[in-house]
Amino acid sequence: MHIPDGFLSPQTYLPLYAVAGVAWAVGMRRIRSALDERTIPLLAVVTALAFVLSMIAVPLPGGTTVHATGIGLLAILFGPWVAFMSLSLVFLMQALLFGDGGITALPLNALAMGLAGSFTGYGVYKLLHQWHAPTALFAGAATAVLLAALIVALVLGIQPLIASRADGTPLFFPFGLAITLPAVMLPHLAVAAAEGVLTVMLFRFLVRFREVRTA
Amino acid sequence: MKDRIALLVYLVAVVAATLVHAIPVLALAIALVMLLAWRDARKIARRALLAIVVFNLMISVSYMVIALIQDGIAWDYLVLMNLRVFLITSMTFLFVERVNPFNALAFSPSLSYLLTLAYTQLLTFRRIYHDMRLALTSRSLGRLRMKQLYRHGAASGSFFVEKALSNASESAQAMRSRGFFNDQV
Repeated sequence: MHIPDGFLSPQTYLPLYAVAGVAWAVGMRRIRSALDERTIPLLAVVTALAFVLSMIAVPLPGGTTVHATGIGLLAILFGPWVAFMSLSLVFLMQALLFGDGGITALPLNALAMGLAGSFTGYGVYKLLHQWHAPTALFAGAATAVLLAALIVALVLGIQPLIASRADGTPLFFPFGLAITLPAVMLPHLAVAAAEGVLTVMLFRFLVRFREVRTA
Repeated sequence: MKDRIALLVYLVAVVAATLVHAIPVLALAIALVMLLAWRDARKIARRALLAIVVFNLMISVSYMVIALIQDGIAWDYLVLMNLRVFLITSMTFLFVERVNPFNALAFSPSLSYLLTLAYTQLLTFRRIYHDMRLALTSRSLGRLRMKQLYRHGAASGSFFVEKALSNASESAQAMRSRGFFNDQV
């Protein structure tokens, strides 16, 4: 889902930076008002947690593995604003400290995975958890991944429409929606299912840890 | 101050690289980046190539196949796209190599502190996870099954959640005891 630099047009990433800037300001204010002194330490460790969660290899049928995103898990555990800010910091650190990911793709990754993914995952979980908690966890984690992938596919797919030469030759990402939607969404169906299973199992371990500790 | 200016120059250069659609200009810019990198030019070029090769090859080959079926390959687009991606990635690696990002982001003390704290936690978490993977491999005969990998992922993930919560409260106490929050007021 991570897009490198050079595939998004400035007509895309500059307005996205403006939107993300507003979201970061709102997010910081929300977290500060809820946490006060604990804001910086909590954000820092949740950022590190988000980073390490993205290192966890999740196996798919057929022998391949993908990396977990942890979007739904972070949103359910710490709330969508903390998840959004932490994931944004992960993308910033990946871009500026490790040279991984892209500085032009940062606002798209932050808004798609961090904001839309976190709020969707959290919302779906809240909607379903009274009925059946494991289903709510699975659905929350899976929909977070699917919505983030859908937004990335849509933004990539409109690049030939908004940035191409007069003869129709693309200038940035070359494929339209007819290609990006199936190419991004079909593999992410399996990724979302794997992420859902991992999230349910992880919560079970967490509950067991706490039971053992309080026993 | 030097690092902050470097960050600003880097950001302006990235935007400029996406505004230019002339192949000779992008080629010249790559030459300039390599000149600035000087002794590290080979290392930076190699790192940039390794970072982009998989994604760019996938996009380039898919584009060639689709364009061949439809209305022919626009070679200038392929060169332009690959040069631009290589240029921005090389600039990023040059920035990472030469600039201290913590100093560059020090215009906001909170952001700088947040990044420093997150980075140190991240290095610790990464090392622990690496050790966990090695422990799993060393204790397993043959190839790991899917169920084992899921259980390992979930167990290590839940460990990190617990560790994150306890580290957050420890860091908050350490910051309070050192008067960090008094300085902020």
